[in-house]
Amino acid sequence: MTMRRMLLALGLLMLLVPAFGAAPPAAGGPVVHESALTRRELSIARTLRCTVCQNESVADSKAGIAKDMRTLIRQQLVAGKSRKQIVAFFVSRYGDYILLKPRFDLVGTIVWVLPLFLLAVLATSGWLVIRRHSRATEPPPPQLTEEDLARVRAARQQD
Amino acid sequence: MSPNALSLNLIELGHFAAILAFVLAIVQGLTPIVARGLHRPQLASLTGNLAVAVFVLTSIGGATIIYSFLTNNFSVLVVASHSNTHMPLFYKVAALWGGHRGSLYLWIWILTLFTMVLAFDGQTRYPERLPVILAVQGWLVAGFFGLSLFLSSPFVRLFPVPLQGADLDPLLQNPGMVMHPPMLYMGYVGFSVPFAFAMAALITRWKSELWIGLIRRWALIAWGFLTLGIVLGAWWSYYVLGWGGYWAWDPVENASFMPWLVGTALIHSITVQERRRMLHTWNIFLVITTFSLSLLGTFLVRSGVLSSVHAFTVSPGQGSYILAFMTVTLAISFGIFLARGRFQEAEETLASPMSRESLFVWNNVVFTTAAACVLLGTLYPLAINALNGSRITVGPPYFNAVMMPIFFVMLLLMAVGPLVPWRKANMIRLRARVLFPAILGLSAGVVMAVLAWPVYWTGPVAVGLVGFVLGTLIVDLARAVQQRRAQHISENVVVATWRTVFGNRRHYGGMIVHLGILMVAVGIVGTGMFRVEKSVVMAPGDVVKIGAQRLQFDGVHDLKGPNYTALQGKLTSLDHGFVLRPERRDYGPQQMTTTVASVNSNLLRDVYVVMGSPVPGKNGTTHYLIQVFINPLVAFLWMGGLTMVFGLGFTLSHRVRRAARATAPEAASAYAK
Repeated sequence: MTMRRMLLALGLLMLLVPAFGAAPPAAGGPVVHESALTRRELSIARTLRCTVCQNESVADSKAGIAKDMRTLIRQQLVAGKSRKQIVAFFVSRYGDYILLKPRFDLVGTIVWVLPLFLLAVLATSGWLVIRRHSRATEPPPPQLTEEDLARVRAARQQD
Repeated sequence: MSPNALSLNLIELGHFAAILAFVLAIVQGLTPIVARGLHRPQLASLTGNLAVAVFVLTSIGGATIIYSFLTNNFSVLVVASHSNTHMPLFYKVAALWGGHRGSLYLWIWILTLFTMVLAFDGQTRYPERLPVILAVQGWLVAGFFGLSLFLSSPFVRLFPVPLQGADLDPLLQNPGMVMHPPMLYMGYVGFSVPFAFAMAALITRWKSELWIGLIRRWALIAWGFLTLGIVLGAWWSYYVLGWGGYWAWDPVENASFMPWLVGTALIHSITVQERRRMLHTWNIFLVITTFSLSLLGTFLVRSGVLSSVHAFTVSPGQGSYILAFMTVTLAISFGIFLARGRFQEAEETLASPMSRESLFVWNNVVFTTAAACVLLGTLYPLAINALNGSRITVGPPYFNAVMMPIFFVMLLLMAVGPLVPWRKANMIRLRARVLFPAILGLSAGVVMAVLAWPVYWTGPVAVGLVGFVLGTLIVDLARAVQQRRAQHISENVVVATWRTVFGNRRHYGGMIVHLGILMVAVGIVGTGMFRVEKSVVMAPGDVVKIGAQRLQFDGVHDLKGPNYTALQGKLTSLDHGFVLRPERRDYGPQQMTTTVASVNSNLLRDVYVVMGSPVPGKNGTTHYLIQVFINPLVAFLWMGGLTMVFGLGFTLSHRVRRAARATAPEAASAYAK
């Protein structure tokens, strides 16, 4: 019963997916491939900040300078430079500012470690709150007389 | 008189109305103090009338600005710089919040609206405290009006009057952008109401258990608008900015995310206080922090200290004003909190560390940690720059790495929390309840790891957690339905489920919101882990193969829009037959060319295409740079967002009915008198 319902629901769900798996016969022109060079260029560009943009990576930005920077990356890749060398080149020109991911140097490490510190502080205070509250003595349970107990028993039997 | 001449004069009327509103807002802030000083407490009730007057006057001001946009009154600076005669009507109205001056005015307008609604809401329910609450709101209104009128006035005139206006930034000419700022402002401003309550409570020594129930609705509504605003912003970023993503950890995005995180902690911890009379002081702290972060967001957007896609160009005076305003507000509110916060304490005890209330404490720990981390990442570059002058960037890779584990803990708590009973959990029963979800989660994680091998560890963990949460949601509902059917044997499953859900809207509304979060999580995992991207140079007739899709580029043609010309490309899917039409739009000489992505969506994946600049080919042909993305499961993000808002509405619908029933006997007794 439930199985059938589930299958029905699944079937309905599939209806929402148009033309799933149905492949019309297709001819096509020549297939163009993304060059390995472009892939490497973009993967480096993604870690660099576009200098005139507002918080966009060189890969995402549509600004002219980002385009120039991508060209620069490409030229250096063609010249046989490694990823490290290219990133170092940009850092030497623009400083650490260009790196979207802060480095693990003195300044950068703080920003990586502080979240752990924050978590530790807040978790400790949370734990202290819970402990303080559970330590506080609870009011003693109400004393039931024989009469009350009989009433409870009677109520239970009625159920 | 021609409409244009009328508009010329009306804008000055609007300006006058706005100045009057500013003055009356100050009067509103002073009234309770004066009433107390003169020993005439009945004077204080004037604040309600003033709140209405301030809203009406602000509306007159806003209406005249909109009227100036509609009549192309280019003698008004905001109109001349954000609108022109070619712009569609829809965007002429929306241009009000297209720039710094207008959007600030909208902020104030919404604030005065909330203040007025508050005045009506409180008239019968908490009349003694209302004047002080409204006074706090009055000072906020006055503070923002001061900025608007003296440093960033939307009523500034231009002479000589230009014949034609500039354009609204093309990126903003999109339906998502039209709705995004108002929704976000409703969220930010909505949190001012709990803030005003907290301030009034601290000043007048009003016990928080008496008012925490009153702010729950306000906080939920504000949270709902903020959620909607954030989702719309992500949607806009995805469809308009054309980079294939939806969240960039931009400072301004973070500015809206921080109040959301603390607001989420708040709406959970309010529940604890309502149910178990705990965390009084902490709740007041959260209320103040949430609104402070909203203020900080406004400061970051408007002061120009941070560069961001959203930042407005502003003069230095505005930055100083906002900084001063924010500092004063924070100093006063936290000062009062420190001086008066303690007396609220009248706490119940926690029966067990394994109880709903202690899990709520952990929820608060996790959400405040998340907000603190976002704040840290956003402000760290500023701090470093101020300290030793060096400039560094804290970008998306950092936030993704830091937030991922926090996000996992959130999911885990979301799964376990609703299953654990208040006061004390019976571990044996709890184990039985967690068994099915745990199996579901584990198998989901394993299946995912096997199918998508090799995969980074976060993938299976995230999918496993999503399965786990889903399992607990099912178990939670199934148990309630089972209990109901044990009592009402005649009901079949569907009727029993229906009645269970509608019988406890508050709880199940929350569960629907959780389901929405789960759907968003599915979307985040899908796009985060399985996105495929290709960037190729194509000539007409070329085919690009990405994932299981083969797309053929059929060439480009020119297109003319209402206020732009465009080059539209056409790509056909050889496998599924759909057509994609990415555009490059030109909005005239003053604006940069913008790209409009074309997306084919279904439930499982989006095919997303952006057309880049033309590249000269070998034999005189023109090639185009085409960027193709396969973004899996993006649809879940938007569905999840809608589900969250729906769930919130469902939760709120419960209170409306109860309130209506509660007031009926009161009304009857009022008549009897």
